[in-house]
Amino acid sequence: MANGPRGRGSVPRRLGPLDAAAEVLGRAAGAAVRKAGLGAGHSLPGAIVERLVPGYLARRAATLPDGTVAVSGTNGKTTTASMLRTILREAGVPTVGNESGANLSRGVVSALVAMPRGTRLGVFEVDEAVLARHAAELAPRVVVLTNIFRDQLDRFAETEMVAGLFRRTLAQVPGVLVVANADDPLLWRAVEEFDPLGFGVAPLPGAGPGGADAEPEACPRCGRVPVYAGRTMAHLGRASCTACGWRSPEPAVVAEVLPGGGIDRLELALPGGRVVLPVGGVHNAYNAAAAVAAAGALGVGAAEAVRGLAAFRPRFGRAEALTLGGRPAWVFLMKNPAGAGVVVREVAADPRVGAVVLAVSDQVSDGRDISWIWDADFERLAAAGLPVVPAGRRAADVAVRLRYAGAEPAPAEEDPAAALRAALARCPAGKGIAVLATYTAMLDVRHAITRTRRDRMLDVRAGGAGDAGERNR
Amino acid sequence: MNADLVLVHLYPDLLRTYGDRGNVLALVRRAEWRGFRVEVAPVSRGERVPPGAGIVLLGGGTDRDQEILGEDLVGRREELDAAATGGAVVVGICGGYQLLGRRYVAADGSAIDGLGLLDVVTEAAAGRMVGNVHARAWLDGRDFDLVGFENHGGRTRLGPAARPLASVPRGQGNNGLDGTEGAVQGAVLGTYLHGPVLPANPDFADALLARALARRLGGEPLAPLGDRLEHEALARARRRGR
Ligand SMILES: [Zn+2]
Repeated sequence: MANGPRGRGSVPRRLGPLDAAAEVLGRAAGAAVRKAGLGAGHSLPGAIVERLVPGYLARRAATLPDGTVAVSGTNGKTTTASMLRTILREAGVPTVGNESGANLSRGVVSALVAMPRGTRLGVFEVDEAVLARHAAELAPRVVVLTNIFRDQLDRFAETEMVAGLFRRTLAQVPGVLVVANADDPLLWRAVEEFDPLGFGVAPLPGAGPGGADAEPEACPRCGRVPVYAGRTMAHLGRASCTACGWRSPEPAVVAEVLPGGGIDRLELALPGGRVVLPVGGVHNAYNAAAAVAAAGALGVGAAEAVRGLAAFRPRFGRAEALTLGGRPAWVFLMKNPAGAGVVVREVAADPRVGAVVLAVSDQVSDGRDISWIWDADFERLAAAGLPVVPAGRRAADVAVRLRYAGAEPAPAEEDPAAALRAALARCPAGKGIAVLATYTAMLDVRHAITRTRRDRMLDVRAGGAGDAGERNR
Repeated sequence: MNADLVLVHLYPDLLRTYGDRGNVLALVRRAEWRGFRVEVAPVSRGERVPPGAGIVLLGGGTDRDQEILGEDLVGRREELDAAATGGAVVVGICGGYQLLGRRYVAADGSAIDGLGLLDVVTEAAAGRMVGNVHARAWLDGRDFDLVGFENHGGRTRLGPAARPLASVPRGQGNNGLDGTEGAVQGAVLGTYLHGPVLPANPDFADALLARALARRLGGEPLAPLGDRLEHEALARARRRGR
């Protein structure tokens, strides 16, 4: 690999004998759990190792020859990290990464315990709230900051607080290379003193002034009303302030969205060439630009990065395509109004979608305050005339939301399997179901899809469609 | 357009953090479904409240948003006072509720003057009050459930000129101590509840509409809307834990 990641400049540390012994125990425990059929055994090794050898995470991360990358921000952490790992894998750099989950440190430790010999670099997604702590442990070479949106209002009421957290964290990691979204004024202003490598998306002609899903708009320096030269989604775009002169920078890596996209197709022009991705939506253009910029910060050339990116496949809940009663079912994670708005736009415009399940729950990892659903552009779903089934623990509130959006919702179904059945029953022949769900609602829906596949609970002939495809498996 | 109701959304670009668009939507639709013509007038920094306002709504924002508003609030008091005298209902939600009060005392002891339309004072304190709320409201001779989600650090105390909007069987409400939630003082109302509060509580939304449309209604009550979905959601909210 001629233009692979630069070295860290310092010799990687070796793992001490106690840590190595704890790893052996952790791995053995994980294997035993899997063998006994008690589950996938993902988090147990991490729990054991954390307990046996405190401080393992920092010591193990320091043994990675090419160091670590931390990806943080409100939206797009998982996809950006996954795209970056794909690029690095295609460039011949074996990486380790964490699954997103409730206990971040255990997830990272479990990933480190299980990583194969020869792994060179870690790409970890880190929740905004714990970035400061984990930055100290991971000592990342590169920190990628995707954006700052209102998210889980009960946890982070203040977007400014997140911006401040980012700034303080970066100040504690000497020599870190910052890759940041140049189209997010609040984020950029918070980190511009660290001389970040900016990424962005070329303004879209159709994107109007910030809708209800945008963040309140104020100049990040002086608080006055900014002027936008172009926008992409929500409050993202090229802003400037006539009062104090602050302006968005020209991003080093710009993705241009080419026509012909859909819920599972995005064609981009990037500095290294064109790429077609099997995911839709302008938010994924940002994720791609972030991944290519981060790869650049690690020494992977633009052309090589874009070639590698073509191998990207969506993961769990990110435009994941499943099969349900012989029909395609596309599952989208929905976290906040801006993200939901982008997905709604794609779903409403895609002729393959015949019905929608809109699942909102209010557990801690969904965000307990669901007020944000009123800022998401569900009016567009209503205007598309698609049948929508309200689902999740807050299905009844979703039904009210849809009423005010101008839709006539199907009866609310808190039970995910019932919601899926209701959607299938309303879906015209030859079309598929789009599921938009908050985090735990998505877990419930996926569980229902896999469980019902086995039990044939969804073996219905909705709209005359058979499910021979399922039967033959 | 010759509107039956002019709905002023004050600072829609800043005070809209907790789904306040839903509050606007609830008022607009519930008036329109009854055949009234509604005009929504967004009023931001440097803009004046148009004459003939029926409802003025202030939503919630972050501390920074409220700071940014500081200089624009000067002069709003007379304007909103005039609107209220002219028959407008003024409603503040969460941050907007605090802004309608006399004072906001920050954690460092510094005080920021509010609009002074409600005889309430809010003091910042450690520990946010966060969770589902089930309250019982009393307004215009009717009592009804009020459900929603609260998330505030400020503790609000009512002076003699204001009375509570509701009692809180479940939740912290104004200050977590006296069992009250929100405030009413003539044509001015405030509440901490998100949800957003108006689509979640059609009785509350209709009480505001009945006030704002009083002249058009000429003593008649608002036509019922059925609200089957709202009542289903309310029934579930009543059973929901904190
Ligand atoms: Zn400025």
